[in-house]
Formats: sequence, structure tokens, C-alpha cells
Amino acid sequence: MVFGQDEKQASIDQAAGAEASDNEVLFARRISGLLVEKCLGCHGADPDDINGGLDLRNRQGAVAGGDTEEASLVVGDAESSPLYLAATRESDDWSPMPPKDAEALSPEQLAWLKEWIEGGAQWPDKDRVERIAKQYDDQWSVEDGVTVPTSGGLADTWTNRRYDPRGLWAYQPLNKPDLTSEESSKHPIDALLQRAQPSEKVGGETLPLRVAPRASRRELIRRATFDLTGLPPSPEQVDSFVNDSRDDATAFGELVQGLLDSPHYGERMAQHWLDVVRYADSSGFANDYERGNAWRYRDYVIRAFNDDKPYDQFIREQIAGDEIDPNNPEATIATGFLRMGPWELTGMEVAKVARQRFLDDVTNSVGETFLAHSLQCARCHDHKFDPVPTRDYYSIQAVFATTQLAEREAPFLDFENTSGFEEQRYLKERKKEYEQTLNALDEVLMENALSWYADRQASPKKWLEAVEFVSKNQPGNVNFNAVRNRMAKMGVPEDQYPPKLVGFTPQQFGMERVARKGIQRLGWQFDRYRPYALAVYNGRTPSFKGVYAPLRVPADRMKKGELEQTCVLTGGDPFSPSDPVRAGGLSVLDGQLNMEFPDTVEQRRETLANWIADANNPLTPRVIANRLWQWHFGIAIAGNPNNFGSTGKRPTHPQLLDWLAATFIENGWSIKQMHHIIMSSEAYQRSTRHPDPERLDRLDPMGQSYSVYQRRRLTAEELRDAMLAASGELNRELGGIPCRPIINQEAALQPRMVMGTFAAAWQPNPLPKDRNRRSIYTLKLRGLVDPLMEVFNAPPPDFSCEGREASTVTPQVFALFNGRNSHDRALSLAIRAIETTDSDRAAIFDCFRRLYGRRPDPEELELCLKHWRQVETLIDEDPASSKLPVRIVREAVEENTGERFSFEETLYFNEDFVPDHDPSKITRRARGLADICLTLINSNEFAYVD
Amino acid sequence: MDHRPQSIAPDNTIEDFEVAMNRRQTNHHPAPVIDSSRRTFLYGLGASLGSVALTAMLADDAKGTANDDGPLAPKPGHFPAKAKHCIFLMMEGGPSHIDTFDPKPMLEKMHLKEFTREGEQKSAMESGKRYYVKSPFKFRKAGESGADMSDNWHHLAGVADELCFFRGCQVDSVNHPTAMYQMNCGNRFGGDPAIGSWVTYGLGSENQDLPGFLVFPEISYPQGGAANWSNGYLPAYFQGTPLRPKGSPILDLQPPADVTAGRQRMNLDLLAKLNQRHAVDRPDQEELAARMASYELAFRMQTQVPDAIDLSGEDAKTLQLYGIGEEETDSFGRKCLLARKMIEKGVRFIQLYNGTWDSHDYIERAHGNLIRGVDKPIAALIQDLKRCGLLENTLVVWCGEFGRTPDNGIRGGVAYGRDHNPNAMTIWTAGGGCNAGHTIGATDEMGMTAVEEVHHVRDFHVTLLRLLGLDDNKLTFYHAGRFKQLSQFGGQVIEKLIA
Repeated sequence: MVFGQDEKQASIDQAAGAEASDNEVLFARRISGLLVEKCLGCHGADPDDINGGLDLRNRQGAVAGGDTEEASLVVGDAESSPLYLAATRESDDWSPMPPKDAEALSPEQLAWLKEWIEGGAQWPDKDRVERIAKQYDDQWSVEDGVTVPTSGGLADTWTNRRYDPRGLWAYQPLNKPDLTSEESSKHPIDALLQRAQPSEKVGGETLPLRVAPRASRRELIRRATFDLTGLPPSPEQVDSFVNDSRDDATAFGELVQGLLDSPHYGERMAQHWLDVVRYADSSGFANDYERGNAWRYRDYVIRAFNDDKPYDQFIREQIAGDEIDPNNPEATIATGFLRMGPWELTGMEVAKVARQRFLDDVTNSVGETFLAHSLQCARCHDHKFDPVPTRDYYSIQAVFATTQLAEREAPFLDFENTSGFEEQRYLKERKKEYEQTLNALDEVLMENALSWYADRQASPKKWLEAVEFVSKNQPGNVNFNAVRNRMAKMGVPEDQYPPKLVGFTPQQFGMERVARKGIQRLGWQFDRYRPYALAVYNGRTPSFKGVYAPLRVPADRMKKGELEQTCVLTGGDPFSPSDPVRAGGLSVLDGQLNMEFPDTVEQRRETLANWIADANNPLTPRVIANRLWQWHFGIAIAGNPNNFGSTGKRPTHPQLLDWLAATFIENGWSIKQMHHIIMSSEAYQRSTRHPDPERLDRLDPMGQSYSVYQRRRLTAEELRDAMLAASGELNRELGGIPCRPIINQEAALQPRMVMGTFAAAWQPNPLPKDRNRRSIYTLKLRGLVDPLMEVFNAPPPDFSCEGREASTVTPQVFALFNGRNSHDRALSLAIRAIETTDSDRAAIFDCFRRLYGRRPDPEELELCLKHWRQVETLIDEDPASSKLPVRIVREAVEENTGERFSFEETLYFNEDFVPDHDPSKITRRARGLADICLTLINSNEFAYVD
Repeated sequence: MDHRPQSIAPDNTIEDFEVAMNRRQTNHHPAPVIDSSRRTFLYGLGASLGSVALTAMLADDAKGTANDDGPLAPKPGHFPAKAKHCIFLMMEGGPSHIDTFDPKPMLEKMHLKEFTREGEQKSAMESGKRYYVKSPFKFRKAGESGADMSDNWHHLAGVADELCFFRGCQVDSVNHPTAMYQMNCGNRFGGDPAIGSWVTYGLGSENQDLPGFLVFPEISYPQGGAANWSNGYLPAYFQGTPLRPKGSPILDLQPPADVTAGRQRMNLDLLAKLNQRHAVDRPDQEELAARMASYELAFRMQTQVPDAIDLSGEDAKTLQLYGIGEEETDSFGRKCLLARKMIEKGVRFIQLYNGTWDSHDYIERAHGNLIRGVDKPIAALIQDLKRCGLLENTLVVWCGEFGRTPDNGIRGGVAYGRDHNPNAMTIWTAGGGCNAGHTIGATDEMGMTAVEEVHHVRDFHVTLLRLLGLDDNKLTFYHAGRFKQLSQFGGQVIEKLIA
């Protein structure tokens, strides 16, 4: 009977032009898409791999059922159809389908399925479904959402699927709201916030939630200064602002202007940017080689913000600086952005796979950073939720198909900070030591070789001939390996001469590796002082077996290697190419942006950069406006600044976001203008304390109304920088090679495994001024993070960080209350306060002013004076030594032998280490006051910004 | 109340997500309630050991205080669990299956015959002249089940019938850190939560006064570093807490040497007073209050942690059993004994590191030493867990990040070693509902690639979760635009590994 129905069905299918039945329409409108989205992934997409034997590509398959040999679809009876029962997830006999809960059918979808089965389960073919869809298009658009034209998915059902228009907000052209005449007296931001202000009905009257009063000037200057520079205001700046007799708006406006003019402004903004782009000074993974030149990109970003470089230009330079302005080193440096992801090619890995990792990384990074699209979701299939077909993913990737990695020549520019290069002498000393070790070990091998023959009672005659040959032909280079190679050339079988590393002890094995690989690692570090930029060039893809040293642009970049033709990669696998694709942008925006992408080797990136930085691109200005808002308020208007797709949080204030984005473009993409605009709003200047907290909690439980300003904890970098600023130790120099502060010594000296060896210990800069620099300048190694930064939620550079977390966990206490860093800062501040004042009271005043930006009240003063006297009596032991070790013994398991071994490492930098304090000044009195400073540093008032 | 988001709040995001997708409300994600209320800060304190009443660690019979609503509160799984705890023995570096548990007699015949490999997926590792290399070790059948073991597993052979060997596992990466990330976190590129984080996220922990997920690393951290036990995008409470084997078990656990306890107490009292004054006109600020509380917790922990991990009170017989005090086994023996103690206290997931097993050269010597270092401690752990009645609900896993090749390049000359092999490896499990006494799957006659019961590591992860009562498809967290899970995109249970 079932078969009979099928035949009947088939005849309906072929009856072109016949009026579609309701059941067919239901299939076309609801069921066909549902099958693709929920079922075909395992039951038909790959005909050679059909799960459970159940093929849901057509009605026959569904009716036939799978390996259970039970019909999956019982026409007319949903409650007997396993297809339906599995989807309900409530059947005892059939396991829930789709298996993932996140993909469960909604009650509405289940109802469709039921209705369809019970109404005859008609299954029109593809053509007919298309015809029906066309016929009903208008009606469905109103009822079901809209279709979105794109370059097309791998299947038509994807191409023709419908989207809830609310999830497509980010693709709509900017729509700058007009303010009503009533609103025009207000700051536009406040007016637009007011439109969405929560309210409640009280006795028939609608009462909006009140907003908090204006914050005090003392609070405002601390807030604005941290927001724009990441540093606390000096006591003098606080006094001057608090006592400014002009009106609030004028005084605050001038304060903001001063902060925007400060060179520290760029450092603060760059930190936000580097979070998004995943900045690090090392390459991650197995080797975690240092990226000697990454600092030049970091400084480029700081300069860009300080110079208020128009954001569209900032985009263009980072994506295509080398194409746009090939002779300008600054533009080459800017392309460091494309290199920010972790990457390496070891001898173990297949080169093509590593190349694909770069392409995937850069594609996703461009998407997240500039377009708030996590493009990797479309790497293996069309995007599940957003109108991004996998074809688009590979079109963007095709932009980078001719982009190659290199540390490119880029002469140092006048405005770059090139001081401190003399530190490389310490690295040279280390290199020399490694070379000496290798030479000494080679002598051992030459001796062991003879013992090897003696042990076997074999004649070393041939070996000695080889030695003689080598010494004649390669004078000065008579090493064990050269002799072995000679033996091989002489045709001696390999088991008749000494093996590599013959007779080594575990100690010697370990030493050999540490020295040999250590020299290789130093190669990357020496690049730091040379005029090269972490960058890219255009050309064919060279073939590599491994990358062990910085890459340079090859002379034959257009001749040697593969000219990549990008294809859609099935399953994201570089060995499974399918349709070729051309370079392009997101096709969902084709109606708004008309840009022809070239097929040439050059100018692909420039075109993409222009496409992104086009004023008609609705994503780009919204993305940056949203970030800028977040950098001031802690929360973004669209809650996932890296994801504007339908799975990201929708904007809480879409009109405000569009107003900001449109205004941003009107102001020539000027970021500094946006700070002025945002910070001059009432919303920004509100207190963190609400007059009616209970009502605030009720009407705005998610804290999205901006009725109060949200208090925030200082970030890891701000905490450290603020300590240094308060103690007077902060070296405010801009830019330059990375610095290395003193970090927890156990972490600094812990042996760290990298490929085949151990990375060198962390050694701080010998001089306080060189290491006590702003945190943005500290060396960022992917494999060794300063524990102080880590516990205070500095993001690891694995993922783009769209917003900092601020969790409270106990290791923060250990780091800040017990750790050396805060103890040192507290002592410096105490010494300084004592030296610059003439009474205990004045010293405590000074410490409060420097750390809190205010004077202590009388009670606090008494409390601290008393504490000082008491704590002094408890200080009897000498202070902990501030010296650092010069030679350390490191322990590890040796790879060749599996035995524990230890090796000595000379810490050349530490030989010249100058402590932060002059020992003669570390008096009992200073130490007592330091305890107070330490306590202040740990207090909530210091760690939070109101 | 401060509304600043503490982390991606899963309940909110799921809600947003479902509004967006017009989906029915599901409550299947066992997302703990992460609000910013004070009490959540008092449990499972993220990157550290410890919590409210760390004294529980000191009392032998302590199970800690039960709490219903902390992020680490015990939660029911999705299935009846076979195992409640997991001890994961991570042999970092890639132990050779061929020289431990997967004998390849064919290699005796092929020994030093030239080996060639072709294909576009060839890497530099395979360049130069290569030879087949036989195992330097003799093999024998151990236990009644006749498990294959090289004969230098003297002690493990005694518990052979407790073990379930799996020879079908494959991974994607040939490099250590990426393979480690995949074995530990499912994702090759790092940044995802480790298995232990997922498990504590799904099940909480029985002891609210200890972290749910402990890690005992080697002195040198493995390649890839602390990302191997990261909470990834899960909230910080689920992060693995490493107890360092040397020096301070937790960084900066103690103040500088000259700061006495009395002096520190005084400073803490001053801090409390300053914070209280600050809080006066900031009432109901739970975040501030939580931060104040964390200082008191930390103060207690710095005296209690060292005591809790001190093994000097153990009787001589126990120490001897684990090989503690013997040079070769002392280091791993201590970890194994401490693991047993922590399981007794209700810790959910413990990962022990050993290595490096990356024996490219001289495999006889290197693997010989490594096996000696872990053989006795591991056998002791299994025996001891069984004696305490803990083995039946504790899943023990032994593995590396990949296996090794049957061939070797010229780098060792005649000093035979083996290179990395993602296509074949041996994993074994014990206790916790595993299919003890069986060997599942097989590799080809050279040990080059798995050929029977072949599964991607994601299936092993799904199986591991299943034994612990968790469904990988339900154990999800919304991040970067989608619900993520340990297996990445789903996998299947390897039924044969389950008793």
C-alpha cells in the first residue's frame, strides 16, 4: 500500500503546473528546509556515509527506513513515524534527533512535521518546491521572514532559506535617527538613550526610571583618565580639575582634550585593539619562537591612535599597506596585523596544512576584527545561522591566496623608538656560551668515537682517514658530524661507524639540545634589532619543509612555488578542493557595495580593504562605533562586538548605534571626535550610585539602561601601570623593543618545554627604568605569561578578545598581596613619600593622594598612623633579598634517555641587575609605611574605578 | 547591584540565542547559574586551590560541605554514571604503542629494512633514509586476560586484568602542543576548555572546598603550557588548578620571607577597615564584598595548602607501595598517592603529567627509564584504589597525545627511536565501568595505523564523558556564535570500551 502511494506521489511530482496541494505547500515552505537543516547532515548529505542506513533525501528512503528495517515515515500517522517520534525527543524507542539539544526542533517545527505526515507526507521534487516557493514568495516573506540574496550556498535550500529580519539588522544600511525638536536640547546620546529608558506604571502614570546624578569631579577625572590613558591622574591634575572654577562642561571638555592629546592615549587604545587582534611577541605552538619585529606593529597601532589616523585608512593599511604604499616602511609595518595569529611550520607538519592554518586564521581574523563576523563558522559548510555561504568564506580567503609570510625589510623610521638595542650583547654572550658548549661536546664525541671502536675491538682506520680528509678539506670545521658524513660518502655502512651523539650521558644529550636549539632560537631574537617588519608580500606560495629562522622575501617570489587557486574546500580540508572561487567580500552586501576583485597576484588585499573601509559598508562603522562605546562603558550596545550575526546579542539601542556609526563617518572616521562626543554625554558623566537602587534593580536588571555608570575593576595592565605611576617609577617613554619586568621568580625560572628543548629563563631588564615601563610594552610570550597579568584576566592571545572579564578569584590575592611586584611598588612609594615630606602625617597624605587621588580623612589618617607605629615593631628580620640569580640549575627529563637531567643556565642580564631600591633607604620606617601602601594597593578603592 | 557581566552568562546567551532563532526554550544545558552574587565567588576559586573551609582538605574523612547553588555544586549527569571521578595519566610526548602495549612481531623481520612513504601529505619528518625498527623490548601476555605488555612493565602486569586497552584511536596533529590540546581540550589550536573543565562544569564536584579539577604537572610544564588545563570559554571556576611539584605549590602562596603571619594579619585588618569605609556609600555591591572575602580565604589557604599536600604522614607501607623514596619512582609515586587522597576527598577530575615520552632516539634507554618511572606508581594507584573500594567508580585513563612510528630516520643512526604518529596509539583505561580485561581495536602489522575499531579521538572523548554520565551533545556552552562541545562537532560512543 505504501508503495502504491509512492507511485501516486511520483505522478503528482511530475505533474508540472498542477495546483499545489496544501500538504505540498507545507513541505515546500517548512519541511524541505527542516530536513536539510536537521537531518541531511547525517542522513543523505554524503551518500557514501549515511548514518544508520536511513536516507532522507527522498520519500522512498524515509519510508524504507534505516538499518532497523522499520519505516521511518508512516504516512498519515505521525505518532507511529519514527521520524516524528525521534524529533519529539520524548520517545522511549527512538533516540532524540538531531542528537544535539541545541538543534532540537521547536514545538512549532514539530507541529509542522506532524501536520505534514498526517496530511499525506507529500514530497514534491526540487523543481516543484522551487516553483511553489516562487509562487508564494510574497506571502511567505511577510509571514516567515525574508530570503537574503548571497553568492549561494552548497544547497538550494540554504540559498532560499528565510531569515528573521531582526537577525539581519547589521546588514541594513545605516539609518541615522533624526532628533525631535523636543530632544534637540539634549545631547543626542542622552536623547536616544531616553527613548529606550525603562519605565513602570505607578497609579496609572508612566514613570521612567530616574537616572543617577552627575559624578563628582574627583570621580570623573579618575574615570576619564583611566579610560583614555589607562593611567591614574596625578594629584596635581586632580587638584586642578576639582578646583577649576569654570562650569562642568567646559572644565570637563578641556580635561578630555588634554587626555586625548596625551601620548598615553594611544597606548590605552592600542591595548584595546591588540586584545582584538591577539597581539603577541611570539609565534605560539611547539616552538613559540619570538617574533622579533612584532613590536613595530604594536607601536604603529599606538601611533595610529595618537595621530587620530582616520579609521578607514587604519583598516586599509593593516590589510594592504604594502600594496597601497609599497615604499613606505610604516605601511609595511601595518600589515603585521595579518600575522597576529599563532603560526609555525615544524618539520613534523605537512606544509600545505600549515599554510591552510594561516589562511583560515587570517580569514577569520579579518571577519571578527572589522566585520564582527566569526567567519570560521562557514569554513566547512554554509553558515548555519547567518547569510554567509561557505563560498564567501573562500572568496575572502582567495584574497590572501597570494599573500605570503615574511619578515620584510623596513628601515627604521625617525619616529620609532630604537633605543636599548645594546641589550643584544647579553644575547651574544649567551650565543657564545652555546657555541662553546657545542665545541666542547664535539670534542667529547670525537673521543667517544675512538672508544666506540675500542669497545668493538674494531679498527678506527677508516674513521681516522675521514678525520684527516675533513681536516684537510674543511679546515677549522672538523666536527663529528662532518666526519660521519664523510664516512657515509666513503660508502661505509652506517652500523660500522659511530652513531650520532655517540656515548653521550643524559647530561650531554640535554646540553647538546639546549645549545643547538638555543642558537636557533636566538636567531629570532636578534631580528628584533634589525630593520625588518613582521609583514607579508605577494607572490607564489614557496615550498618549505620547516621554518626555523625568520622568513625573508625571496628574490623569485613570482616564479618559484605554487600560484594558489582557491577552491571551496570540502570539510575545510586542503586536500579536498571542490569549486574554484574568485576573491570577493561578503556577498550579502553585494547590493550595497559594488567592487570588482582582481584575479591578479597584486591588489587583492587592497580591494578587500577598500570594500571593508567603504562608507557604504554597513558593518564596518557599526563595528567600530560599538567597540568605542564599549571602551567607555564596559558593555557594548551590541553585546558581542565580534559577532553581529543572528547568534550575537542584538543591539540594546539600535538607533543609538546607527547614530554613532553615521556620525563617525560624517566626522571623517575620526576616533578622537567620537571620544569627545561620547564623553560629553550625561550618560558618561553619571555617578555609579543610583538614588533608588531597588528600582534600578527591578527596571533594569541587566544594567543596560545607562541610568548609572558601571563601576569597573582595573584591568591587569592598568593595575600594574597605576602602581608604577603612583610610586613614581613609571618610565613613560613611548614605544620600542619589548621590556621584561620582574615577574614571579618561580614562573620566570621554571623550565619551559618547547620543541626539542627548553626555552631560556625569563630575565628582567637589568635597569629599573628599562623594566618599569607600561605594560603594553612588556614582552608577550604565548608560552609564558606573567602570572600577575594572567590572574587579573589579561586575555591569552589564542582567541580574539572582544571584552575583558573581571572575575574575582583567590590567586589574585596571592599575586597582589604576596607577590613581589606590589611589595616593590609599595616600598618605592613609601621611600619616596618619606623623602619628599617632613612628617608621618604628610607622608601618609602623599601616599593617599598618589594612590587614591584624594587626601585621607581624619579617621583614615589616625588608622594609618597607628598601623605604621605598630607594624614597625613587628619588623625584625631583614627584608627579602632583591637580588636575582646569575646562574641557575634547571631540571627536566631528557628526551633521548628519558632520564632526569639538569643543566646550568647563565642569566647574563641578571649579572648587571640593579634592584629597584637603594638598600640604604630600606629603613624600618620605610618598610612600615610600605605595608600601608601595600594595603592601599590591595584595597577596593584602588582596584575599582567609580 | 553591579550588573557588569562577569563572564559570558550562559543562561542569558542561550535565551538571546533562542529568541534569535525562534526556538523553543530548552533547559538541557547544564549551565550553572553564574550570577555575580557573593557566594559564587566562594567556590572553586578558579586558578587556585581552595575555598571556604579548606580545613576539609586536612581531615581524612572530609567530603566538604554540600552546597546546592555554587558553580561547583554536584549536579546529576545525563545518564546514570559508571564513574564518578577520573584520574587522567597523561604521558606527555607520545609514548610508543609499539614498545609498550602493542607488539609488532613483523618488525622483527623488517628490522633495518628501508622504509618509504609517499604522498602529498608527506612532511619533512619523512625525508631522508628511513628504516623499520623493531622494539628493543620483549613482550609477554599478562594476567588472565592475556594482555600484551612489554616485559619491563613488572608491576602493571599484576593489575593487567583491570585494564582495557584501546588501539583504535587517531588524532589530527603531528606536533606536540597541538596534539596535546586536542587530547586535552578537543581542539587542536588551544583555547578550548580541558576535559576536566567540561566534566566539572557538567557534574560539579563532591567537595565544595577543593577545586573540582586538579593538575599535577612536571617541573617543566608540557608543550603548550597551562592552556592544557585551561577553562577556555567556560567560567573561571572550572579551570584546572595546577599544584606545582617544586617550590611553592601555588605561585605567591606565601608573602615575602620577612612578612610574618602577625604582620600580614595586621595588614589584612587595615585592609578590611579601608574596604569597609569604601563600602559605606556603596551598599549592595556584592562584587566588592566578594573581593574582600577572597582576602580572608587566601590568608587561610596559605597555611593550609602545604599541610594538605604533605605526604610525610603516610605510613611506610603505603610509601613503599607507590615507590616513594626510590629515586626512579619517587616523583610520579607522590603524584599517584596524592591523586588517590584527593579522589577520596571527592575531587572530580585529576590529571597527572609524566614525560617527556618523546623518544626520537635511543628508545630502549629512554622508554626503558620512563616505564620504570611510572610502572610501580601506576600499579600501586590501581591496587590502592581497589583496596579503598574507589576503583569501581574512578575511571583511570592512560595515554599520550599520539603514538609513534614503526620507522626511524637517520637522525639516530643506529640509535633507534621513533617519530610522531597520529594514526596509531594505545590508550588504556581502568575502573569506572570500562571494559576491563579486553583489548579493543588493532593496528596494522607494522603499527603504522589503526585498522580495527578506528575512532577519531573525539569518539574517545564522547565515551569518556559517557562513562562519567555525561552526554557530549548536551554538555555545551555558547561561545563565539555557536554551542561548543568537547568533541567539537559531536561524536559517537565507542560501546566496546564500556563494560
